[in-house]
Amino acid sequence: MTHEIIMPKLGETMEEGYLVGWRKAVGDRVEKGEVLFEVMSDKTNFEVEATHSGYLRRILYQPGEQPIPVTSVIGYLTDTPDEALVEKQGPEKKEEQRISPQPSETQITAKVTSSAAQERIPVSPLARKLALEKGVDIRLVRGSGPGGRITEKDVTDYLKEKETSAYQVVSWTPMRKIIADRMTQSKSIIPHYYVQISVLMDQIVRMKELLKKEGKHYSYTDFLVFYCSRAIKEFPLLDAALMNDEIRIYPQINIGLAVAVENGLVVPVIRNCAQKSLQEISTDIDSLTKLARNNQLKKEHTEGCRFVVSNLGMYQIENFYPIINPPGVAIMGVGAINRQILPTEHGTTVAFLMKINLSLDHRVIDGAYAGRFLSRLKNLLEQPGLLAL
Amino acid sequence: MREITYRQALNEALDEELARDPAVFVAGEDVAIYGGAYGVTADLWKKYGEERVKDTPISESAIVGVGLGAALTGMRPVVEIMYIDFIPLALEQINNQAAKIRYMFGGKCTVPLTIRTEGGAGRTLGAHHSQSLESWLIHIPGLKVVMPSTPYDAKGLLKSSIRENNPVIFIEHKMLYNTKGPVPEEEYLIPIGQADIKKQGTDVTIITYSRMVLFSLQAASLLEKEGISVEVLDLRTLLPVDIKAMVDSVSKTHHVVIVEEDCKTGGTGAEIGMLIMEHAFDQLDAPVKRVAGADVPMPKSPVLEKLAIPDPERICAAVKEVLQ
Repeated sequence: MTHEIIMPKLGETMEEGYLVGWRKAVGDRVEKGEVLFEVMSDKTNFEVEATHSGYLRRILYQPGEQPIPVTSVIGYLTDTPDEALVEKQGPEKKEEQRISPQPSETQITAKVTSSAAQERIPVSPLARKLALEKGVDIRLVRGSGPGGRITEKDVTDYLKEKETSAYQVVSWTPMRKIIADRMTQSKSIIPHYYVQISVLMDQIVRMKELLKKEGKHYSYTDFLVFYCSRAIKEFPLLDAALMNDEIRIYPQINIGLAVAVENGLVVPVIRNCAQKSLQEISTDIDSLTKLARNNQLKKEHTEGCRFVVSNLGMYQIENFYPIINPPGVAIMGVGAINRQILPTEHGTTVAFLMKINLSLDHRVIDGAYAGRFLSRLKNLLEQPGLLAL
Repeated sequence: MREITYRQALNEALDEELARDPAVFVAGEDVAIYGGAYGVTADLWKKYGEERVKDTPISESAIVGVGLGAALTGMRPVVEIMYIDFIPLALEQINNQAAKIRYMFGGKCTVPLTIRTEGGAGRTLGAHHSQSLESWLIHIPGLKVVMPSTPYDAKGLLKSSIRENNPVIFIEHKMLYNTKGPVPEEEYLIPIGQADIKKQGTDVTIITYSRMVLFSLQAASLLEKEGISVEVLDLRTLLPVDIKAMVDSVSKTHHVVIVEEDCKTGGTGAEIGMLIMEHAFDQLDAPVKRVAGADVPMPKSPVLEKLAIPDPERICAAVKEVLQ
């Protein structure tokens, strides 16, 4: 009997997966529960186990950069090693229909070859000789002579053009492709708008120093996530998800944290923040960041991500407008903390200032609501004592 | 350098060779007392006497036959066929005898015979006096065929032809006799079989000969104003032709236009084009193009005669076409 191997749907929002690798080769014996292949989705990797015992008979997709729609058949198992394979009919395999993002020259050549078999390309003897000497595939040269004849100039022009337009192709990593797809989808669909506020950080700076003296090391991100979670408790729409045409509010407040990793970015989630102390949040952030940098994040570390904090302050960035990470409806961009001169009643004073930008989905959150939230967050950061009241 | 006409240059060549070698003599219709139909042999009769400058009866076959017999027996005759149109009357002597005897006798004899004749259109002389029949003659192994375009080339090549030990058909052009050009006073020779670049260029080569060299140079200067650099290669000798000069020029410009006054079909240009294909195919960046005489008996009407042979405008158009 033939069993289909399918691309699993591994999360609510997952529509496509990337095949990272097969753990078995065609012809191998596979036991039910053995890891058969690995899939990447929403920035984490999964090992997928065989649902039947048998023999891996056919592989329809090779590991690579192209996304495979969930529930697609990606291969076949059979109970015995040599029984006839019953393959699903129809346009199951979409590989050919997809356009590879960077067609290589050899692919183009192959295509042109097949059409050139039917039509002869007029080319002058000199152009042909030159092309041969320079290793130019004459089929890639556009002819400018009568009847499209390729002349010497066409070949030299082609060589010149090739020289000046030489470039290096950076291949799509699965992560890069996911980021590209998700960000394009978000910015194309979500009506973004942006609000900004300046926050006096003197109290937080002082608090951070005091705690440091006590041997407790916290980052500004720890403080931000902590106070954000408290403010979101009062403005729960910030942590909403827009899914299947529903605005969903969850009982726990989760805050995603954008973490830069080699060649990309991942967003692990700090769960149930509003119920956690600064200490607990800090511990969570430390361990998640470590996992992320070691490429060890699992599905449970990234799922349930809605509201996201992204901090570029360490790079002295003052302002930026991040793109919302669906199904979330808001993302916060945090800038650097800088000393600035501020006017007072009697003259001037020097204070620590930080800018916070909020990108919002206008379908869910209006400006006044966002304003009230941001104003509350500002107050909490400027007067941390307020929380106790 | 002094400038003299093509006619004077030829006359000087004959004069010098008559003076230099007592075996040289001139024979033909009206070459002696009258001085030649186009005046090329003027005054030679007076200077050298009727033994060495002889009028002949109107019989082309006899003229060439006499020349051939004299050549075989130690003389170095220069005979004249007044119009190339009459060459067919002498073809038996030229084709079956003069061109073949040296071969058929295993090289035991030589045929130092020069047959001067004149061809081409331009004087509205009609179908019997305006032809360009050089392609018939280059089809005959054993002959040499020379067609100079300038006074300088005419003199140097005629002297070489007279000293040549094989039969040479020396074809002048009736429209060139009055053209002038620099010719040194001191003696010089131009070897048979050597082409000459009349104008250097880089974009296209015009391969031509005889009067069409002049038209091609006119076309080249018109094209120069449009930024097209034309090389004009004057073959000077059609048989044996200078293949190396053609290949060298084509290797430089990669484009070829052949300009010839003779009829296009089976003409000299067909042979030249084919030689380029055989020797320089890989150098061509466009098909070789011919600008040639129309495949018609030459019309008497001056308007139609002009249309029946190439002109600078048509040469320009052809050049642009190969450069397209």
